[in-house]
Amino acid sequence: MDERKIQILIDSLLPMIKAGLQFTIPLTLISFALGLVLAILVALVRLWKIPVLSQIAGIYVWIIRGTPLLVQLFIIFYGLPSIGIEFDPFPAAVIGFTLNMGAYNSEIVRAAIQSISNGQWEAASSLGMTRGQALRRIILPQAARVSVPPLSNSFISLVKDTSLAYTITVIEMFQVSKQISATTYEPLLIYCEVAVLYLVLCTVLNALQNVMEKRLARFSAS
Amino acid sequence: MLEIRNLHKSFGTLDVLKGVDLSLEKGKVLVIIGPSGSGKTTLLRCLNLLEMPSEGSLKLGDSALEFGTGRKPSKSQILKLRQSTGMVFQSYNLFPHKTAIENVMEAQIIVQKKDKASARKRSAELLAKVGLSGKEDSYPHQLSGGQQQRVGIARALATDPQVMLFDEPTSALDPELVGEVLKVMKQLAAEGMTMVVVTHEMKFAAEAADTVVLMDDGVVLEQGRPDQVLRNPSSARAAQFLNVLIEKEG
Ligand SMILES: Nc1ncnc2c1ncn2[C@@H]1O[C@H](COP(=O)(O)OP(=O)(O)OP(=O)(O)O)[C@@H](O)[C@H]1O
Ligand SMILES: [Mg+2]
Repeated sequence: MDERKIQILIDSLLPMIKAGLQFTIPLTLISFALGLVLAILVALVRLWKIPVLSQIAGIYVWIIRGTPLLVQLFIIFYGLPSIGIEFDPFPAAVIGFTLNMGAYNSEIVRAAIQSISNGQWEAASSLGMTRGQALRRIILPQAARVSVPPLSNSFISLVKDTSLAYTITVIEMFQVSKQISATTYEPLLIYCEVAVLYLVLCTVLNALQNVMEKRLARFSAS
Repeated sequence: MLEIRNLHKSFGTLDVLKGVDLSLEKGKVLVIIGPSGSGKTTLLRCLNLLEMPSEGSLKLGDSALEFGTGRKPSKSQILKLRQSTGMVFQSYNLFPHKTAIENVMEAQIIVQKKDKASARKRSAELLAKVGLSGKEDSYPHQLSGGQQQRVGIARALATDPQVMLFDEPTSALDPELVGEVLKVMKQLAAEGMTMVVVTHEMKFAAEAADTVVLMDDGVVLEQGRPDQVLRNPSSARAAQFLNVLIEKEG
């Protein structure tokens, strides 16, 4: 490799990492956290068959899972302004990814809660706990353990999916790489470089997932 | 102390309890026996409202509840009743993500709002009482079935219930572990705990019960002192059931 290319690689690294720290990672963390809260609410509303809300939740999950994420982002960012609802790029991306995570993860959370034996609810109730207390103290901690592997997978997918935010003008890592590629005329080099950055990020997350699974497995032999 | 009148429970069209009357004085032990499917578990679960009775009334301490169309106890009445009962399950139902002592502390902290230190102190005492000193920090899966069930008893005792409910507490245990659990239960009975026990342990019924109730098909078939019910049942149906039990015990 000639010196020019090496210099390009080095020069582009910092802006990309900066975009990662400034947009990719915050977008991932915020969307995942909000999406998880939404997922738990949706899962509970559907598990407890709360009238009206559970139907709404069902339709929401159906729509989000049955349409492309890219189309959802476009509707939020380019579509809604025509009826007077306007968002800046970053909030629009957060809304899009949160809705997406909420729908997919609600199925994970629902399955995890259902996998906890009814005897756990009964034991908690028999001690005088309310449904909310039982949920928070007894059921969710156990469901969390069951759902760490699938939730980690959706977290890692989200990291990669945030690159779609470039289409709604968020200046995240991939957007920056695209700009650099256009000015340096080195698409192969630059896109491979950004790919490596995503790879590093996902590898670190995978390692964290393993640590978390080990820690959560502590209380169970199986 | 504990009194139920005309208790009915149906699941859909299946009538499981068909008008049960029982009363139990403070400090007494009631043992319920009866064939499989006769409604023993359902009756016990009606006493702490894990099942909502379809009809009848239930009195425990200063809780007096009525059931039937349009007469459903309020949430706070339900919680209050559950706090004054302690239930021990056939399959223990310990919280697997909590250590033995955390299992016992949980309701004291969450339901009774005690501070951690005093909950811990009380829990250690209860674990000692059921013979589990030194096992405080073990997780349920690290304990034998008999030990788990004793944690279950300590957990149920932790909120100072007025009555303890046991649903076949030893029937999931290996035979050699049954004794240690029955011993704890006998000790509780001797200390004056009010207890309702569903069990097929005839020796326990004979030694610890003040009253034995024989249920059949959702009704109380026989009720009386253990020697009466177990030795001289008045109905042929009861005699037949007891014979089966005695043969099983060998
Ligand atoms: N949640 C439920 N829904 C429908 N039917 C039920 C339910 N719980 C119990 N039953 C039925 O009620 C009847 C009585 O059950 P219950 O568990 O009270 O009997 P049991 O006397 O405890 O029997 P065993 O000795 O086998 O434990 C059975 O026919 C059972 O199938
Ligand atoms: Mg039963």
